[in-house]
Amino acid sequence: MSTERFDHEVTTTCGYCGVGCRLEAHAAGGRIASISPALDGPANEGHTCLKGRFAHQFTRSRDRLTSPLIREGDGFRVASWEEAYARIVRELTRIKRDHGPNAIAGLASSRATNEDCYAMARLMRAAIGTNNIDNCSRVCHSPTSFALRKSLGLSGATGSFTDIDHADVALLIGVNPTQGHPVVGARIKQAALRGCKLITIDPRRIELSDYGVLHLAPRPGTNAAVVLGLSHVVHRDGLLDDRFITERTTGYAEFETLLDSYGPAAVQEITGIPAADIERAAHIYGEAGAASLLWGLGVTEHKYGSEVVQLLCNLAMMTGNIGRPGAALLPLRGQNNVQGSSDMGALPDTYTAYRSVADEATARSFEEAWEVPLSREKGYTIPQMFDAAIAGDLKAMYVFGEDIAQTDPDTAHVAAALENLEFLVCQEIFENETTRYADVILPASSFLEKCGTFTNAERRFQKVEAPIDPPGGAKTDFEIITTVSRMLGHDMGWASPWDALDEIARLTPEYAGVSRDRLGRKGLQWPVAADGTDSPTLYEHEFATADGLGHFAALPYKAPGDAPDDEFPLVLVTGRVLQHYNAGTMTRRTGNIELVDGDLLEIHPDDASRLWITNGDLVSLRSRVGRTELRAHVTDRIEPGHVFTSFHFPETRTNLLVGQSADVNTACPEYKVVAVDVRPVSEQPAFTPDLAGV
Amino acid sequence: MRVTIDGSAVEVEPGTTILEAARQADTWIPTLCFDERLAPFGACRVCMVGVEGNPAPVPACTTPCRDGMNVDTQDPASRRVATAVVELVLSELPEPPAAHTELAQVAARLEVTDQPRWPGATHPVRQELDHPYLAFRHELCISCGRCVRACDEIQGAFALTAVGRGFEANVVAGMDSGFRESTCVSCGACADTCPTDAISERRLIEFGDVYATISGAGA
Repeated sequence: MSTERFDHEVTTTCGYCGVGCRLEAHAAGGRIASISPALDGPANEGHTCLKGRFAHQFTRSRDRLTSPLIREGDGFRVASWEEAYARIVRELTRIKRDHGPNAIAGLASSRATNEDCYAMARLMRAAIGTNNIDNCSRVCHSPTSFALRKSLGLSGATGSFTDIDHADVALLIGVNPTQGHPVVGARIKQAALRGCKLITIDPRRIELSDYGVLHLAPRPGTNAAVVLGLSHVVHRDGLLDDRFITERTTGYAEFETLLDSYGPAAVQEITGIPAADIERAAHIYGEAGAASLLWGLGVTEHKYGSEVVQLLCNLAMMTGNIGRPGAALLPLRGQNNVQGSSDMGALPDTYTAYRSVADEATARSFEEAWEVPLSREKGYTIPQMFDAAIAGDLKAMYVFGEDIAQTDPDTAHVAAALENLEFLVCQEIFENETTRYADVILPASSFLEKCGTFTNAERRFQKVEAPIDPPGGAKTDFEIITTVSRMLGHDMGWASPWDALDEIARLTPEYAGVSRDRLGRKGLQWPVAADGTDSPTLYEHEFATADGLGHFAALPYKAPGDAPDDEFPLVLVTGRVLQHYNAGTMTRRTGNIELVDGDLLEIHPDDASRLWITNGDLVSLRSRVGRTELRAHVTDRIEPGHVFTSFHFPETRTNLLVGQSADVNTACPEYKVVAVDVRPVSEQPAFTPDLAGV
Repeated sequence: MRVTIDGSAVEVEPGTTILEAARQADTWIPTLCFDERLAPFGACRVCMVGVEGNPAPVPACTTPCRDGMNVDTQDPASRRVATAVVELVLSELPEPPAAHTELAQVAARLEVTDQPRWPGATHPVRQELDHPYLAFRHELCISCGRCVRACDEIQGAFALTAVGRGFEANVVAGMDSGFRESTCVSCGACADTCPTDAISERRLIEFGDVYATISGAGA
């Protein structure tokens, strides 16, 4: 595209999903005029989706927050930055003095930069003195992080998106890339058209199923049984990489024993998938020269989500499908910086690169750098924060870039927690469900208005540069957080996010070689050695566990936390659609709303006709914890017995329906299995007979 | 392999096309139907070059290099073909292409700036403006096929189709149902590759009143 129509161009990284497309942002008159894909973007190679390319008008939406707001009575009044800062410092100081530092908690955002997240973690740890810091990856990919660390050593994809181009087989489980990660979805589709065999495993028949060789539709919550079934057949029929198992792994014997109970017939009983399909899928995967595994929130957002990820690692290890081109484990991360926000230590139990807060040497290195004593005790996870707020132990929260009242499960529980806080700071670009409970709202910046780095789902640090300034009196998150910290008495000593990045590299051996200059246009995939050598493929020779071996986990199938019964006979699965992004805060304020303007409930024609529901009807959706209404979309993409909806529109309040059930290891909520009752809501009498003689 | 482009030697891998070798050597060859993201198509005949020992010009985008090949990008016969093609393409448009478009830039560089010598029929104006992001101005289509191939080869949406023959040749979304009723996923790869703005980003076009009513455009 010619450049002369615009004032200037900046190459930056997309702030929508975790693919990490590199974008050329063209600005004119202080606004984004157009966005085009960078031809040399490693993840997108000159392509992007409608969100990255077109959905930027929200940056100059009329309802952007442009000045601080302070609660007054039932509403808010405009305040100066001085007053807002003074109020925050006064309240946080008071609460810390009266109730101790652990009465305060902070939330970083997986939409923010690495530097913003690192600064927020440092604010909580050093300026406040607590490890009560968490981020929204808690509710999406924390099970992936946990399981990959347990099985293989590092919390990240084992390869890169280019592995999709080299795979003979790609097995997709609980992920719908053409909707959630469109540019990777397009890449997978092209690979399939060239002959890569796709196996899709999902309760819904996703678009890529139409391009695959086999689609398996398990009952929601039975992923573990599916993966164990595949492993059983791989083992039974000798499709193993014996040498890999012997030389590179440990714990196989115990896992082998466990597999006895997961023959195809038994798995059919649990999952509803025909035994013959389990056999066929196992053979396709097991006989491939190079096979990759991709998964998403359909794997993680379950009671045993982290265990299923461990079982996926088992499957890859027993067939030797790790650490080679085309043989990768690729968790598709939801938000742009799900990988980075956790890498940066915005977690209650770890510093950067997942080093424990209890580890003496690590804690000391941060104490030396920050010149303050640091707590060795784990802080609260997000769900624990809500529980502590309700119990009265947590008094204040500082939340940025996250609408917890809209997106976290069991909305009523979250609302009760927020109401019970003495003091809530929200740092946002728009008012949202959570800011209703705030005492101070700070106007912050979108990804097109800030600098720093994001880390994509391939572990790739990529530069974020600002094509435009924040609107009105809004400031960058980095400036706000560092100012609050300084006013609380802890000066972080950084002039820009790039200084923070230098500190992150200095204090984290895995990111030692990362710097603004070295990142260049293509970024670097961690671990990055001090000389700048990065790591597109992990585990080529050994795993990153303590003993250098991959660890098989002998984990049996266990039933999900919720199950249909007479009162709640259907199972609700939630997810995304292509045109919108999570809580919809950004995409609802763009032309995307003309393409899709509401959440719909997908229901199978059999269920629909039994329940007297026709396409477009308003239906009531009731779970054990809540009720909402939305329009029905009758489609055979979904299996009978299941219903599906997205959660992009606040009026739908899908998360009112989701209960407290969560992953056993990481507290990631079980968004994907909710037993519900669906019935039509009569807006008008269905049929009014003509009255004779009137 | 070693090839010579306009007198300077270039080392290339086997399978490299003449166009790729020329770009490696920073030598400009005009193109219209070429996009590095797509498989070479060889349709527009604007990238013709002379090759020593060849009786006629060859298309640079689809011709692989041979070891020792001697390429002349300024070959008079080739340039005559290229300029004639561009002149013919321009003669079918109801208005000259916008200055920022690839077609306008190629025309300027080939010095095809006068009124076309063939002032015949031009494409009738037909515009589709019902999509929030994508505008389709059929009269500007030169049937290079880039949008159709981008939709197929990059996105895999298969939403665009080449239709018609000769002067009637054009591209439509779906079965000419428009973007919104087709399998289009609004990725914009077509607008990104279009060399004439026949498909373009709607908000970048000044459509007077139409523009002002676009949702969010004023926000």
